[in-house]
Amino acid sequence: MVAAGLVGAPAISKAQTGAIKIGVPTILSGRVAILGQTSVGGLKVVFDKFNEAGGINGRKIEMVVRDSKGAPQEAAKVTRDLVNNDKCEIILDAEASSGAFAVQEVIREMGVLCIHSNSETSSLTADPKLHVPTAFRTARQGIHDAIGGGDYAAKIAKAKGLKKWATCSPDYAYGRSNTAEFMEYAKHFDGNIQVVEESWPKLFQPDYTEVVTKLLNAKADAMYSALWGGDLVAFIDQANLYGLFDKQASFMVNLGDYGVVDQVKQFPQGVYSGGRYNRTVPATKENEEWYQNYVKTQKHKPTNWSWENAVAAEFIVEALKKTNGDTNGKKMAEAIKGMTLKSQFGTKGTVTMRAEDNTLVDYIIGYGVSQSKEPYVSDFQASAWEPIFELEKQWKKKQGYIS
Amino acid sequence: MVGRWRDLGLAVLGLMLLLLVPVFGAPPAIRDFIMFGMAYGLLAMSLNLLIGYTGLVSFGHAMFFAAGAYAFGLAMQSGKFSIPGAFVLAIAFTATMALIVGAICVRLNEIYFAFLTLAFQMLFYNIILGWVSFTGGDQGLMGGIPRPKFLGIDLADRTQLYIFCSIAFIVCIAILRQIVTSPFGYTLRMIRDNQERAAFLGINVPLVKLACFVISACIAGVGGILLTLFVSGAYPNFGFWTTSGEAIFMILLGGSNVFLGPLVGTVILRLLNDITVSYTSHTELVLGIVILVLVLGLRKGPLDLLAERWENRRQAAAQAVRDAADKDAGKGGT
Repeated sequence: MVAAGLVGAPAISKAQTGAIKIGVPTILSGRVAILGQTSVGGLKVVFDKFNEAGGINGRKIEMVVRDSKGAPQEAAKVTRDLVNNDKCEIILDAEASSGAFAVQEVIREMGVLCIHSNSETSSLTADPKLHVPTAFRTARQGIHDAIGGGDYAAKIAKAKGLKKWATCSPDYAYGRSNTAEFMEYAKHFDGNIQVVEESWPKLFQPDYTEVVTKLLNAKADAMYSALWGGDLVAFIDQANLYGLFDKQASFMVNLGDYGVVDQVKQFPQGVYSGGRYNRTVPATKENEEWYQNYVKTQKHKPTNWSWENAVAAEFIVEALKKTNGDTNGKKMAEAIKGMTLKSQFGTKGTVTMRAEDNTLVDYIIGYGVSQSKEPYVSDFQASAWEPIFELEKQWKKKQGYIS
Repeated sequence: MVGRWRDLGLAVLGLMLLLLVPVFGAPPAIRDFIMFGMAYGLLAMSLNLLIGYTGLVSFGHAMFFAAGAYAFGLAMQSGKFSIPGAFVLAIAFTATMALIVGAICVRLNEIYFAFLTLAFQMLFYNIILGWVSFTGGDQGLMGGIPRPKFLGIDLADRTQLYIFCSIAFIVCIAILRQIVTSPFGYTLRMIRDNQERAAFLGINVPLVKLACFVISACIAGVGGILLTLFVSGAYPNFGFWTTSGEAIFMILLGGSNVFLGPLVGTVILRLLNDITVSYTSHTELVLGIVILVLVLGLRKGPLDLLAERWENRRQAAAQAVRDAADKDAGKGGT
């Protein structure tokens, strides 16, 4: 259904003259096609509402979605084509991280407004060398999750005496940096924690027997995993056969997403999961309505990428209202910089585009206990942002990003 | 000698045609398409020097494409090199790498050569992925590739970048053409057709193969440099096996027996990709069908087919002339 909608997009784009065209480079094919599909879903929900309300000055928003197939050089070319060929005035970059860095360089040259909606790699906005004045990020940030998750893990570790930890994360930059940062902050909050085993399965690895055996032999008290998507489902299903989850506490940052949590055949009890998107987090009427509307219109469940893109779309809509429909990159960037939006995805009912580094803050971060049935998460504990800000500042100093 | 001057003339003509694109104010998307095509075109053309002219099917050619890209990108990011300096350094690095890999691989034939090149490619790819502090791992070289001015040329300007890429591309194509039409090029074909016979004639087959391997790698490296300049970054998938596979597709699509066949294949593949991606996310399905039609239907690249038909017609015409002459001669005799 989603694919069918996307196939129709170019035809629509030719029919509607005068529309505000927003180019969306993303991944629509291969094993992570769900990233593109649910990202576009999140965007459509907001833009359809905007268009139904009449748009701005009679101009409606029209998305032009292109598949980069996950190749950064294709992402760069597709983005240039979207601006040069399809006359898109704004870029909504729904690429994964490597594609996002390639898109960032195109934006540096072209100067249009860009919102990165999926890349969680902290340096994209934290590193001043990479800064582009017209580029922003609405995706959650790795360092924020690491601090919030580390704090949560340390509290559980202290309460249950979890001292020996093992890790099991995918063997590429995201898996390694995410795991290093999580364990660094877990140790920061609980000095007794020590890592006794690290395992790095390959991305899209089909068989985890060796990894599970290694984890069992480590006899750790707890495990952290940054596996995601189908890899995480396969790992849990295979680890269950060896009773791994009965022998240790497990923390999995990416377990909570729809498409993962509802796909595991035999769900392990008492596994802690990071917050991605869940209809009960926050347990508000607005969030439930958003979920229902999303499922009704898009015919699939939203994911973490859906809310990140929905927020990106809302920033664009609000900025357009402020500029009275002027899509000039500089003007739109001025409007978005520091903007606070009312949003059910925020800890205080709002999210803010932090002016100092063009990145989203105050969104809901936290951990809960996963369960096999709806709502798939219980006892969710949202992290406080003040300690995150403080430690993030220290982290930036350590990286040399600020003095 | 006449052929050499003709080829050089054609190279100058090709360059002039390419330079007319910005002169006539072609849309930026056309220029982007050509620049992207030039980078991948060099990859495919250089691979065809191995496959089509020497009979060495390499599955790991993209490692040199990536080597050129990363060496150039890292040199520029270090801030210690000018663009020409980094260009030369990247080619020298690629050549050294090809010399080492080639010295091990060229003594093997057919499937063993193919798989050893694939193994080296995966080794190089994993080094890129694993050496995060140096290469950026799977995120690639982040932060853009600086393009300081040199000799008054500013590659940050898209038109000047296009001209620079066009010149580099035409020079590489001209070099390849000179190679395949030289005695060295005919030696390569002899090795492809019967390497034992070539060895009996006193040709040092491994040495010639190694020279071909290094030259081919250097041209692929230039392709990588052009792509790095275009996307302002270098990424691990430049050196992944799928990129080598793509280059083989380009050769299949265009034809391996005609000099410009792989270039035609590159244009076809890029066009198919760019058109289908505008309408559907099932680009691989479309490409798969096209390749199936070519493999099962034509059994060769379109340019190969055209060349073959042209040759058949030429021979038929020559035969007709001979037959007519024979007939006339027969008439005269009676």
